[in-house]
Amino acid sequence: MKKLIIWNLALFSTVFIFSCSDSDDPQPEENLEAVLVENLHAPADVMDRETGEIISQGSYKYYSFEDNELAETREGNWDIGFKGLSIIVNSGISGNGKAEAAVVQGVFEQYNAVPESLELKIDTESGLAIPTGSGNGWYNYNMTTHLVSPQPGNILVVKTNGGNYVKMEILSYYKDNPPMNEVSLTTPSAYYTFQYVLQPNGSRTF
Amino acid sequence: MNRLLKCFTFSVLLLLLGAIHALAVDKSPTLYILDIKGNPILHAYVSVGRQGVIPVNEKGACHLPEDLDTNDTLQIVAMGYDIRQLPVKEAMANPSIILEEKIGRLGEIVVSATRTNRSVEDLPMPVTVIGKEKIQETGAMRLSEVLREQTGLQVVANHGVGLQMQGLSSDYILILLDGEPLIGRTAGTLDLDRISVSNIERIEILRGPSSSIYGSEAMAGVVNIITKNNRSGVTSSVQARYRTHRTLDISGDFGISKNGWDVYAYYNRFRTDGFDLSPEIPGLTSSAYRTHSFQTKVGKTFSDRWNAKVFLKYYKEDADNFMELNRQGLGVLADMVGKREDLNVNPTLTFKPSKDWTFTLRGMSSLFGTESRTLYQEDGVLVEAEDFRQFYHRTELQVDHQLTNKQLVTAGAGHLLETVEATRYNDLNRFDAGYLFLQHQWNPSDRWNVVTGFRGDLHSQYGSQLSPKISGQYQINDKLRWQMSIGMGFKAPDFRQVLLNFNNASTGYFVFGANLVQDGMKKLQEQGQIQQILLDPSQFGDLTAETSLAFNTGFRYKLSNDLLLQSNIFRNNISNLIETSPVARLTNGQHVYSYLNVANVVTQGAELDLNWRIANGLQFSAGYMFLDTRDLDVLDRIDEGELYKRDASNRTKLVTRADYGGLLNRSRHSGHMKLNYYEKNSGVDMALRGIYRGRFGFGDINGNLILDDDMEYAKGLMVWNLSLSKSFDNGVRLEVGGNNLFDEVNLHDPTNAGRLLFVGFQSNVHQLFK
Repeated sequence: MKKLIIWNLALFSTVFIFSCSDSDDPQPEENLEAVLVENLHAPADVMDRETGEIISQGSYKYYSFEDNELAETREGNWDIGFKGLSIIVNSGISGNGKAEAAVVQGVFEQYNAVPESLELKIDTESGLAIPTGSGNGWYNYNMTTHLVSPQPGNILVVKTNGGNYVKMEILSYYKDNPPMNEVSLTTPSAYYTFQYVLQPNGSRTF
Repeated sequence: MNRLLKCFTFSVLLLLLGAIHALAVDKSPTLYILDIKGNPILHAYVSVGRQGVIPVNEKGACHLPEDLDTNDTLQIVAMGYDIRQLPVKEAMANPSIILEEKIGRLGEIVVSATRTNRSVEDLPMPVTVIGKEKIQETGAMRLSEVLREQTGLQVVANHGVGLQMQGLSSDYILILLDGEPLIGRTAGTLDLDRISVSNIERIEILRGPSSSIYGSEAMAGVVNIITKNNRSGVTSSVQARYRTHRTLDISGDFGISKNGWDVYAYYNRFRTDGFDLSPEIPGLTSSAYRTHSFQTKVGKTFSDRWNAKVFLKYYKEDADNFMELNRQGLGVLADMVGKREDLNVNPTLTFKPSKDWTFTLRGMSSLFGTESRTLYQEDGVLVEAEDFRQFYHRTELQVDHQLTNKQLVTAGAGHLLETVEATRYNDLNRFDAGYLFLQHQWNPSDRWNVVTGFRGDLHSQYGSQLSPKISGQYQINDKLRWQMSIGMGFKAPDFRQVLLNFNNASTGYFVFGANLVQDGMKKLQEQGQIQQILLDPSQFGDLTAETSLAFNTGFRYKLSNDLLLQSNIFRNNISNLIETSPVARLTNGQHVYSYLNVANVVTQGAELDLNWRIANGLQFSAGYMFLDTRDLDVLDRIDEGELYKRDASNRTKLVTRADYGGLLNRSRHSGHMKLNYYEKNSGVDMALRGIYRGRFGFGDINGNLILDDDMEYAKGLMVWNLSLSKSFDNGVRLEVGGNNLFDEVNLHDPTNAGRLLFVGFQSNVHQLFK
């Protein structure tokens, strides 16, 4: 069901390397690898369409960027959690950790540094670090086609439970990362495909 | 229905008995004024030097005085036809005089442009007229099928079959039936399939904002549908068409004019099985439906001064379709049944105390209602029921005064009352409005022609609105006229935007119309459901009309009696467009939405029309429209570098202006060409039409909610239509044809049913018994 695959993208794509292997930049000592995670399945709660009542409660899938794997429980070491369209971080009302996040805009490969001015948030009663709802956080919901597409140019910046910075881009909400023009209502959904870059040395650059 | 048929049969019999006419015996020289098909032109007259004017009789014959000087010149005039002059000698030698129709229907009288009678060529704004023959040759049963063959008009689906003009959608186009507005829109669309075409005499299409005389909705333009009137004698006809998808259209009408009374009655029955463009998905693309339409017109001329008319129209529709719904995690089928009813009563009283004054008092009452039910097929349990009822009443007085022979002033005042009741609206809602309009038509010189007008509306919902407009035409020479107009248009917020009270139980969001958002928010706040208010609460419910400023300019270039070139260039700047917008965030993460005046849009483009009579009986016409539309706020966001897209290999990049394709559902290029051929020996009329609709954006795919990617476009289509018809002397007309012969369809255009073959029959019953 869950298939986590690490791609060393440097093997396949030179484009990804450009941003990482800038020789003028002394900060990252090594080339940072973009990690691609495919088909992380995080089904939403099942709801009765007539009454709006939740029939069966799904559970969040807790993911750790540093370990590149799922944590078993909410108490484990994780950074970010998925359930349906909701994304939580391991802090505040969502977990016991210290993870924080924010949504920024830009081209993923060119986003080289987290500015000091960027305010990362924890999950609180008054709102999640990654806001929910179409057009607010990471996705757009199309009222006509009822399809979900990740909002292009939206980058999630996450400070992991361990205090390192991650930039992350969600590529698809549908199984096997199909191009959006091949997605239909029958395409299995709640399968996250995303890429991320982790800066393990605690600095704000990628 | 049965009674109606009996009544109709009786009328036909009555007509049979009274249809014996004595034939007059002519001794004086007689001319016959005919059109190119040999049919008499009944409104023609002949003027002979000093002898004055002689009208033709009911057979198109004109008896000339016996003492004519054979060297004199005759002038034959008929409205809508080119004037013909010839020496008496020549006319006597060949007494059948054929008049040619004015090219491009320039001679046609248009009412809707100025609310007074004016011919197309004298109007300083872009107007086209579709005549009965053009309507017939399309083989159309419903109005949308006629309009889709016109330059600059696009038929698009959105909760019914709607129209698009100058890049503006159905919401912004006023549809008039015999000069009175049709009501009953669903999500802004007035469904053109509600209107049967078999008794339409002509359709006037006025482009550019006309709020200066019509008020709200007339922002893009006006379509006025003029139905048949009985003006003399007894007439009666029956008509039937049958086509693909078991679609049947039957009409009959009857008219009698006697002792100053004009009475006309019309009945139409339509049924279709609907069609399906995507059989793999449960449900039809276009529902199966059945309709009855009934119309009567009663008029009485009391004297030269007084005339009274009452028009009545009733429409009833039953539709059914089905779809798949998710019931406790399982896909099950549900039936959808819909009913629509529409009743209009429209009395008019006209008083002409002198030839310079006309007073017209009009009333218009209209009821429109819909009912829709969705039921599970397996057990008949009701899933959803939705009702809508609208009542509209208008009283209006119009005064026309011929100030001098070069100035005509029209003034009017009216009152409007509207109520609406619907499933998702609270209570019965009432709106009141009053308005005044003034218009001045002036020919300052032989070459100049200016129409100035303005209208003021005062509305209980959106306050006041002023709509001025000025149009002018300059005749450069005999062949070329240039016209220009600038005007303002507006559209009042619709019911939904004001009254909606909607709560989606399954996802937990709310949508409030402007009138309800204050109360709705207060309630949610008291319940502790509001997390954060996103908008200054003083702005809640502050909804005003959408407004536009438009500019139109173009020319009519009549190269010869047989060749006409027309063009219009337009630009509409629309501000305060109403859109749904989140106003608060709820504790459940969802939002409260309401309607706000937020967007600004520009539509601009050019239309070009060519009419060419290649030979007698052979005519070619072509039209093209270029259209450019854009949302100014999207352009700002692109310039600010706020919009991104993904390319095919999933790389993110910035959207550039060049990527942006403007508004959805607009074709940048569209056009048509038509070839009409009348084969004299067989008497067969052929009409071949090719209609092109260029590619258009159907929706967002790549997630940034704007049109900016090739995969977001539906491909352009060329559709070929052909019809053949033959009219017999006894008033019988037979036709056969096919629309969309090569079956070009597009999933994103649900108004295009694919190939449709049809046969038709028509008979002027009164002619059969002569």
